[in-house]
Amino acid sequence: MTSTPVAPPAALSWDELPYLPVSDPAFSVQSDAVREARAAGWCARTPYGLAVLRYDEVNSLIKDRRLRQGSWAWPQHNGVTGRFADWWAGWLLNIEGDDHARLRRLLNPAFSPRAIADMSAGFVALANELIDGFAARGEVEYVSEFAEPYAARVVARLLGIPEEEWPTIAELSATIGLAMGVTFKQELPRIEAALDQLFAYCDAIIDDRTRNPRDDFSTALVTAQRDGEKLSHTELRDSMALLVFGGFDTTRNQLALAMKTFADHPDQWELLAERPDLGKAAVEEVMRVNPTVTWVTREALDDFEFGGLAIPAGTTIHLFSESAGTDPLVFEDPSFDITSEGRKPHFGFGGGAHHCLGHFVGRMDMSVALPILAQRMPGMRIGEGADWMPFSGNTGANRLPLVFTPTA
Amino acid sequence: MKVIVDMNLCQDHGQCAIAAPEVFRMDENSRLVFDAEPDESMRQYVEDAIDVCPVQAIFLED
Repeated sequence: MTSTPVAPPAALSWDELPYLPVSDPAFSVQSDAVREARAAGWCARTPYGLAVLRYDEVNSLIKDRRLRQGSWAWPQHNGVTGRFADWWAGWLLNIEGDDHARLRRLLNPAFSPRAIADMSAGFVALANELIDGFAARGEVEYVSEFAEPYAARVVARLLGIPEEEWPTIAELSATIGLAMGVTFKQELPRIEAALDQLFAYCDAIIDDRTRNPRDDFSTALVTAQRDGEKLSHTELRDSMALLVFGGFDTTRNQLALAMKTFADHPDQWELLAERPDLGKAAVEEVMRVNPTVTWVTREALDDFEFGGLAIPAGTTIHLFSESAGTDPLVFEDPSFDITSEGRKPHFGFGGGAHHCLGHFVGRMDMSVALPILAQRMPGMRIGEGADWMPFSGNTGANRLPLVFTPTA
Repeated sequence: MKVIVDMNLCQDHGQCAIAAPEVFRMDENSRLVFDAEPDESMRQYVEDAIDVCPVQAIFLED
């Protein structure tokens, strides 16, 4: 019996890796520098550590248990302690091992495809209601008139917060989002005030559903149990607040990136209008080529070797989702095509133990919205005055004027 | 009760091993291994794993 010998990968030296200035606001994950680095090898150096650029290596490392999710120490890195830091430390995303598994087991059922299936019709009505507000005008500021209210009202519906209070949800989320930026510590009092307000919403829902259980998402969370274990009040509150914060921004941004993608591919926009059954494929393709989460962050738990590179414990590793999703080594023709079949999955929802908990909801609400937008906004293109976030980290648009042929 | 996993779909995310560690686990290479004929008492756990699989690759045959 013979076996094919597998040559070990050539040893890589950190000093010789290409360098990507990912902390520069002008840096783009779609820049020529990233493309050149990806053509040269699977990784690059960054100011934080390592960037992983090719599909196979991202796919492997995103599930590798020698790594933990990478943003857990963000408050400490900024010298922040107190209730925001405590909330952060308890996030499903920031805990590992048995604690993570227990919390995830208890949260999972509320997010299952079966549990959320009947929300679809409501999403259709919501999309149409919002589009009614601007369809006849032939122009729209898409972020404030569609993406933001749609994403916030989906979250409000899910949790059972009165839907007309969506602007508060959006505002609290945006304020808490300041924690991700460079002014985190200066803004801490505002951030904590917003968090307190969000907690108050969550507390009220938990108390109500504990007393008056009904057939909804929040009741499913409040009553979740497995092997006699239940979520504590703090776990419930912290997880609901994370859901608001994690579910709103990402959906709003991904909906804006969808329009950017389709504006570059008018033939695909027309096709989606004719074939709403392609809504699901449209979401997958948009998230493959323009994911809002442009990188997934991990941290090495121990020293280990991967792909010929010695990775020391504590190294911050950014897994580039868009770069992996358009890697020519895996995607023979990586261009955007909602009719393509048999594509490998993208990493827009992360992967492994920390795979996005809310992805079934996100996939459903976006796959419902996009075909309706395509039907009611023919000839859509980007107007004057778009304001894009840096094309790195979690990206999207602050402002996105669109023009289109008016419809009824 | 028979558990079937479509290995062409499976991406080894390991969510099933979190949902139902009694039936599914990830080996030292982070690849899925599972008990294809678990005890009937595992049914609810298997159903939780079916629900949570990100690529919906797990099926149950009675």
